[in-house]
Amino acid sequence: MTISRKSLILITLVRLFCVCVEATPGRSGACAEALLGRCYGNGTEARRRRRRMKLRRLLLRYYPPGIILEYVQGGEPKTRSIDLLDLSPNTDAIALVEEIGKGEPLITASCKEHIIRLVQRLQEKLEEKEDHKFYLFKVLRAHILPLTNVAFNKSGSRFITGSYDRTCKVWDTASGEELRTLEGHGNVVYAIAFNNPYGDKIATGSFDKTCKLWSTETGQCYHTFRGHSAEIVCLSFNLQSTLVATGSMDTTAKLWDIEKGEEVVTLSGHSAEIISLSFNTTGDRIITGSFDHTVAVWDVGTGRMLHILIGHRGEISSAQFNWDCSLIVTGSMDKTCMLWNAMTGAHIATLTGHSDEILDVCFDYAGQRIAAASADGSARVYNAETKECIAKLEGHGGEISKVCFSPKGNRILTASSDKTARVWDAATGHCLQILEGHTDEIFSCAFNYKGDIIITGSKDNTCRVWH
Amino acid sequence: MGLLSILRKLKSAPDQEVRILLLGLDNAGKTTLLKQLASEDISHITPTQGFNIKSVQSQGFKLNVWDIGGQRKIRPYWRNYFENTDILLLPVFSVILVDKLAAEDTLTGRIQPSYSTTLLLNLLQEVAELAELLDEEKLSGVPVLIFANKQDLLTAAPASEIAEGLNLHTIRDRVWQIQSCSALSGEGVQLPSDMATTFMAEGQRGGTADGMNWVCKNVNAKKK
Repeated sequence: MTISRKSLILITLVRLFCVCVEATPGRSGACAEALLGRCYGNGTEARRRRRRMKLRRLLLRYYPPGIILEYVQGGEPKTRSIDLLDLSPNTDAIALVEEIGKGEPLITASCKEHIIRLVQRLQEKLEEKEDHKFYLFKVLRAHILPLTNVAFNKSGSRFITGSYDRTCKVWDTASGEELRTLEGHGNVVYAIAFNNPYGDKIATGSFDKTCKLWSTETGQCYHTFRGHSAEIVCLSFNLQSTLVATGSMDTTAKLWDIEKGEEVVTLSGHSAEIISLSFNTTGDRIITGSFDHTVAVWDVGTGRMLHILIGHRGEISSAQFNWDCSLIVTGSMDKTCMLWNAMTGAHIATLTGHSDEILDVCFDYAGQRIAAASADGSARVYNAETKECIAKLEGHGGEISKVCFSPKGNRILTASSDKTARVWDAATGHCLQILEGHTDEIFSCAFNYKGDIIITGSKDNTCRVWH
Repeated sequence: MGLLSILRKLKSAPDQEVRILLLGLDNAGKTTLLKQLASEDISHITPTQGFNIKSVQSQGFKLNVWDIGGQRKIRPYWRNYFENTDILLLPVFSVILVDKLAAEDTLTGRIQPSYSTTLLLNLLQEVAELAELLDEEKLSGVPVLIFANKQDLLTAAPASEIAEGLNLHTIRDRVWQIQSCSALSGEGVQLPSDMATTFMAEGQRGGTADGMNWVCKNVNAKKK
């Protein structure tokens, strides 16, 4: 039984990231009301505190495991999430909820039972046996030049593909049908993203130096963001879906207001190309990774550089926050990954072992593990807590350019220049499946939220969907 | 290779790196030329769907050569790749420049009958498309090396005729050179050092003039 500190802390005020499954729809609200009513018996102090905040609904978030509290405070509807990042099937749910209750006034004695049931449901989800075999479902041949990146929306009902043919296409996952072509860029569409969890907007970053914001539904282009003086090669929405950040070969990153369609601030300070950027979960920080060997941490509100992470001896290939915004992981051409304290910018550890450049690195959703993909043809999994290498993923016949965890964190997907994508067991490093069929190297890959669909984008001009 | 490596090659080249763009019509021999430069097997080459990028070391320079497919449907996308180009390589299928009548004569019994006059006329039009390249703003002033390729074919026109056909003498805004070669045999294309020395030793290479020498000479001039 482990109820670590991390499972309880971080009651962060975030909007729901994941598609939340409403727990006992319809009833939960009433139940919460009722139990709040009952609470009024507990002395005046407690009464005063609870009057200020009124619990409306409890929502379940599977990945990363968490419970979202919807409540009203001063007449305003608000949400906050209790992240249960360390939850495992063996966790003692009752003790855990007891512990949560201590730090969370919204959780009262009478709703504990209900919360215990929710925690148990999360545990069941984590325990679910998975022996899903992927089969090639469709080969999508609508692009006439190589693909760049691919991305799913939150529910996995749609996905998008960017291409050297200057378009981004929107696809229906279930049918493999092309829904829309987003045309207008004057050059390669390189970086693409949905504004998850909402998914109603798409951002595309192009070698034509502009970023465009589109409606997923109609394909209408809302805004064209101009200002970069070189190719845009990375972009991201914040989780609050108010900003888009773009990183460019012009050495700067820019934040754009989605509503107004205007530039908010330029993040300048790097001395070479920015090729990776990532917002933290709460949206108040953004990091940029550069070919100048450093990663910068910026304050989103002011555009001020807070820290510069110096230590790598080669170009940065990737940089990411973990879910609870406490850590940053960076991958570099110097063959190592580094872990940093996100608050102080202090170097925590160097993850070594690869014999060639690190081309991609990522956390799992819960932030417990790190996967690194290397040009040496292997990938490694590290424990974020102990910094030990816990698995080596060996078998690819060429460099691995992309790596990602399944949302649940138990599988890893890799894309390689050997024309295959592979699915691995994240704990043991065993290769579970080889996805073969592409006739040229694979540039990008992604899991859907449920973890039962994979898309791969290749230099062979096709996108393949695996169910 | 991966997307990241593409970005690294895309960035403004440091002094010792050169970005070379290899453009040409379909079947001009671009990929063969590229593979020949990288001393790779050239026996199984199919039409290029997307692009190939190879880095070749030559005379102290790292030459990043971008081979962009030449098929008609891909040609509108060529300009995706124009930025930061140091040198332009244009292999041309030397036969296409033979004038219509001569072509009919020459072709008899030499080339597949499917090589009809109309096809030749089409190709001539496409030569005009190539010429348009040189008007592109992003490529202005970029030195251009035309490879009169496929000299191994009996019907190949000599480089001088091709230069005339392409009106190369009218080019005044940039340095240009024409070099006859056979990407298939490697003649006229400098081979990577180890192979080159072998060839030299065997005395198979005619003269000292070759494409890559010219490229390096011009890069030297430009980077200084």
